[in-house]
Amino acid sequence: MQLRPTRRLRLAALGAAVVLPLSTLASVPAQADTTTTTTLTASTTTTLPPTNVNVVGYSVVGPAYKALEAAFQATPAGRNVTFTNSFGASDTETQNVINGQAADLVNLSYQTNVTQLVRAGKVPSNWTSQELTYGHVNAALTGKRQQTNYSAKGIVTDSVVVFVVRSGNPLGITNWASLIKSGVQVVTPNPLTSGSAKWNLLAGYASQISLKKKPNQAQAYLKSLIAHTVAQPTSGSAALAAFVAGTGNVLLDYEDDALAAVANGDAVKIITPPQTLLIENPIALTTTGVANAGASAFYKYLFSAAGQGIFASLGYRSVLKTVWTQTKGDFAAFKKPTDLLTVENLGRDGWNTVDNEFFSSSVLFPKKSKTYPSQGIVTYLEQFAGTSA
Amino acid sequence: MPVLALSTELSKPTEQPPRKWRLFGGARGAARVVRVAGKSLAVTYLSLLVLIPIAALATNAFSKGLGSFWDAATQRESIDALRLTLLCALAASLLNAVAGLATAWVLVRDRFAGQGILNAIVDLPFALPTVVAGVTFYTLYGPLSPFHVNITGSWIGITVAIMFVTLPFTVRSVQPVLESLTFNAESAAATLGASPVRVFRTITLPALAPALLTGTGLAFARAVGEYGSVVFISNNLPYRSQVASSYIYSLATSGQTNSAASVAVVLLVLALALLVAFSYVSRRIARARG
Repeated sequence: MQLRPTRRLRLAALGAAVVLPLSTLASVPAQADTTTTTTLTASTTTTLPPTNVNVVGYSVVGPAYKALEAAFQATPAGRNVTFTNSFGASDTETQNVINGQAADLVNLSYQTNVTQLVRAGKVPSNWTSQELTYGHVNAALTGKRQQTNYSAKGIVTDSVVVFVVRSGNPLGITNWASLIKSGVQVVTPNPLTSGSAKWNLLAGYASQISLKKKPNQAQAYLKSLIAHTVAQPTSGSAALAAFVAGTGNVLLDYEDDALAAVANGDAVKIITPPQTLLIENPIALTTTGVANAGASAFYKYLFSAAGQGIFASLGYRSVLKTVWTQTKGDFAAFKKPTDLLTVENLGRDGWNTVDNEFFSSSVLFPKKSKTYPSQGIVTYLEQFAGTSA
Repeated sequence: MPVLALSTELSKPTEQPPRKWRLFGGARGAARVVRVAGKSLAVTYLSLLVLIPIAALATNAFSKGLGSFWDAATQRESIDALRLTLLCALAASLLNAVAGLATAWVLVRDRFAGQGILNAIVDLPFALPTVVAGVTFYTLYGPLSPFHVNITGSWIGITVAIMFVTLPFTVRSVQPVLESLTFNAESAAATLGASPVRVFRTITLPALAPALLTGTGLAFARAVGEYGSVVFISNNLPYRSQVASSYIYSLATSGQTNSAASVAVVLLVLALALLVAFSYVSRRIARARG
């Protein structure tokens, strides 16, 4: 289309006039697959030559890194370090790194993603001991299991699965049983793309195990829960956006993300169910990150009291005993050790077995049953999504 | 605007090469050089951008054998997503054929204040990031809609989002043809006593039909692959409201790249079949008019 200059001008003005109000109308945050670069110019003496660190993380942790990187850059060690960030749904980011996206430090939603990176040769197989070698975490302090008896390494933050409801809690949601009452509509991300979704569904299952239900009964519960889902956005951030935009009555979410939503002024209320699952988010220096002085310095910072303090202030449960002791008053306590299960309680080898059992793409049934799969439980139950809401 | 480029530049006469091209063996030689260069450029360009990627996709889809391709393509989740996508794309492109024709008509045949602005607005859906469009529709026509209309999580929402994204295709392919139409035949028919409806049906519409079908075909092809605007508004429920692009995306990002490629190939083949049908009908109409 040949445009005369005047018309071209008009078009530009019009474009601006229409796009601006539209973008304000769109008050819901867009999907979180963002890539940004933060830089800080060095003016004083530096401890490191200028280095850039590529950080890749799951969608929800993105805002925390904005604060952590700025704070790190204000320390002598971080003065000359710049960051390139990429945050999105955990599985998506993992796949991108496998396909060659630059990454020095990965902070993913759940352990399987790091295992996949190890298998692809992107992360050293001894990544769980990086906490001690690069994080310089005092071994005594990593007897850190304030909340449970579990002691995985390479975990940088803990959280729990909580419910987010509309302010005033109009439906009177209190526990997992209230989620499968008629009329309750649940929002949780899609387990194929989101780590958050996997934690949420496992938490529902774990709650039933905590209540001394048999595995088959816990699967039956999971079926009802999935039947009550009305939206499965692609990531945890997208799920929060959909919930804030009015979809559903209950959002299953990371405790930290829910606290961020409340801090953000969203008209929501957090309900911590009496039984839930401990979320453990792994971190690892990649093979390039191990060789990157800036990356390992930042890794160390993330495990320091300062770094963990920032995580804690943003609603994460610190993995450092000292920080946890100071901040645990901010978080809901659990009455019995069994009220807060870990993935290890669901399968002997943690994620290594649980991921396949629940989320494998191929569904297998044991000989005697056609209703309760032994592999791909959630994959099988997904066909009931949205059927009873 | 590739649509316009195609429809208007085809009829341009080939220019005579300038004198300095004698170096290449005179005017005829120069023309040959240009022709060969043009052809190789087109082939390279098409190969790099279209043929090689699609061949790679197909290779990926069949790399684990026909059986696993078939398994991935015929999963119920896959069939549901493909069916939903094709039906919504078809509905959106057909609705846009009507709405787009009406819009083009108003833009060409009417004169009113603000026409230039309206004309410019038509292209905006191309400029707006589709995710922004999806989120905007979610706020306007979602659970908290100021108009109390909730189309999210349904095929209606998906169709509306796709209609927005593909609107320019129909308008912009019909518009130039409508502009070049002279009133002679229409006036003659009217003078001979044909009603306006009959004039439109027998004179105007047949002349516009090939362009309209081309635009509708383009809109359909674009709609089939749409992701950004629909992934949010659909609520992304597997088996129910998940579109094919989102299903493929979730397969690809969960390590099932072969399955993702398989479903993508099926989507492409089905879309291609419909496009061929469109173009067949379009050519039949063009030939019938002589």
